[in-house]
Amino acid sequence: MSRARRPGWAGALVASAVAATPFACLWVLQMRSADDPLTVQARLDMAIWMAVFGTPWMIAAWLLWRAWWRRAGARLSELDGPARLLATAAATLPADRRDWGTAMTAELTQVQDRAARWRFAAGGARAAVFPPGGDLAVVGVAGALAVAATAAAALAAGAVVPAGRVFALTFVGLLGGLATLAVARSRRVGWAGPGPAVAGLALAGIAACVVATTWYLVEYPSYHRAHPPTIGVSLPPVTAVVLAVALAGCLCLALRPPRWLLPNRHAGRFGVAMATTLAVGFVLVSRMGLGGVGGWDGGLMGYLLAAPLVVVLPGSLAAAAVGRSSHTGLWACAWAVALGAPLLIAAWLAEAPRWYRQVGGLLLDGEGGIGVGGNLGDAIWWTLLLLALWAVPLGVLGAAGGSAGARRLRRGPGRR
Amino acid sequence: MTRARRPSAQTTAVVLALAQAPAAWHYGYQLCQHLDLKAGSVYPILMRLADRGLLETAWERDAPDGRPPRHLYRLTGPGRALAATLAAEATTGTVRRRPRLAGA
Repeated sequence: MSRARRPGWAGALVASAVAATPFACLWVLQMRSADDPLTVQARLDMAIWMAVFGTPWMIAAWLLWRAWWRRAGARLSELDGPARLLATAAATLPADRRDWGTAMTAELTQVQDRAARWRFAAGGARAAVFPPGGDLAVVGVAGALAVAATAAAALAAGAVVPAGRVFALTFVGLLGGLATLAVARSRRVGWAGPGPAVAGLALAGIAACVVATTWYLVEYPSYHRAHPPTIGVSLPPVTAVVLAVALAGCLCLALRPPRWLLPNRHAGRFGVAMATTLAVGFVLVSRMGLGGVGGWDGGLMGYLLAAPLVVVLPGSLAAAAVGRSSHTGLWACAWAVALGAPLLIAAWLAEAPRWYRQVGGLLLDGEGGIGVGGNLGDAIWWTLLLLALWAVPLGVLGAAGGSAGARRLRRGPGRR
Repeated sequence: MTRARRPSAQTTAVVLALAQAPAAWHYGYQLCQHLDLKAGSVYPILMRLADRGLLETAWERDAPDGRPPRHLYRLTGPGRALAATLAAEATTGTVRRRPRLAGA
């Protein structure tokens, strides 16, 4: 094994261990938080569940590390600290400033003294992270508009939907901040979107999610819990911030995606198809459950677990095979998750009241004794967690499988 | 296009340093050393000058093997005109702050 490849294997092991850590912690937390002492069988069952969800993530982390190492990691590992710092900072430069990153990186090769190298790299990194952008006046106007919009959103939400004030404040504040940052970092803030289908679906999903959340907060700002008898707010501050960050991230990705995500047409198409299938499937299964069809009347947890297996895994696999690269599969999975999250939350909130009226329980698992407002937290947390912890690793596995299959087909049947 | 606002002392220093040998190509690190300025100050100035058409940039053509080509800079016609104006202002004392020209 070459010297350059050894840290790659060590890194892959560390990446897998890091991916396994949250699942191990979750297992320990559940063991400790149990009201009654758990039997050995119960502990083992829980460990098996953690392994079922954790193993794909460990393999996915291994594959992602290996892909990154082949692309950039091996090259970075040959650089010294200052060169690594500058290369990392230069990678954040907007497309129209890319040459300047190359220029500073090339200039660093001329600096021999170690202290001088660090000084030059630190200065260059500062210039790369905060390059001169648009006119200061324009940046000032953008910043002022962002502050005004945030204040207006907070005031309006306080007057109309008090329960949604934290969400409105965080969401509009984040969007304003990101817009100001884009104006400040780039000379030309133009349309650099991923195409009308992706951007349109993202905007529709985010709008639907915001409207559904607002309506839900107007109708069900709080909910009761029978055991123990308590009243809870439907959208606690932490959940509101998580939703705002997720939606702002989705919007940012759809309107100004990173430059490496843009040129891949196949990824966008497969991403749109997967996200739409996830949301449409959710509504169909919900209706089937309400109609007592197919054993879906116990809630949609089963669908949320099965959908990534039957949609994201084969979708990413097909994207990688069609695009003949694992990257196409990975970006398709990224689009599916980013576009699917707001659509799924909106669909969840649209279906939950109907489900509650008919079944008398929550949409997740049909649990009774909890007010209908409890669906809002469920919709946000379960959608985001299952997409991140279950759909993403399956998408990574699919991408790796699809690209391996495409490679094998290209080589022909007689060769391995 | 030149801007109506007066350039900062550091921008003035960079422009005057480039104007000392207007036909020659200059390097970024060389300017940092010459003016005793950090890369974090010099490169944003070079970017702005290039954005405004005051600076011409090129890549080194005959870089030795194993070394990436360096980025080269020199003033354009409008850049030289700006340098002349700044130099004249400096000699007549109309510049509020004297540009720092260490080693110049």
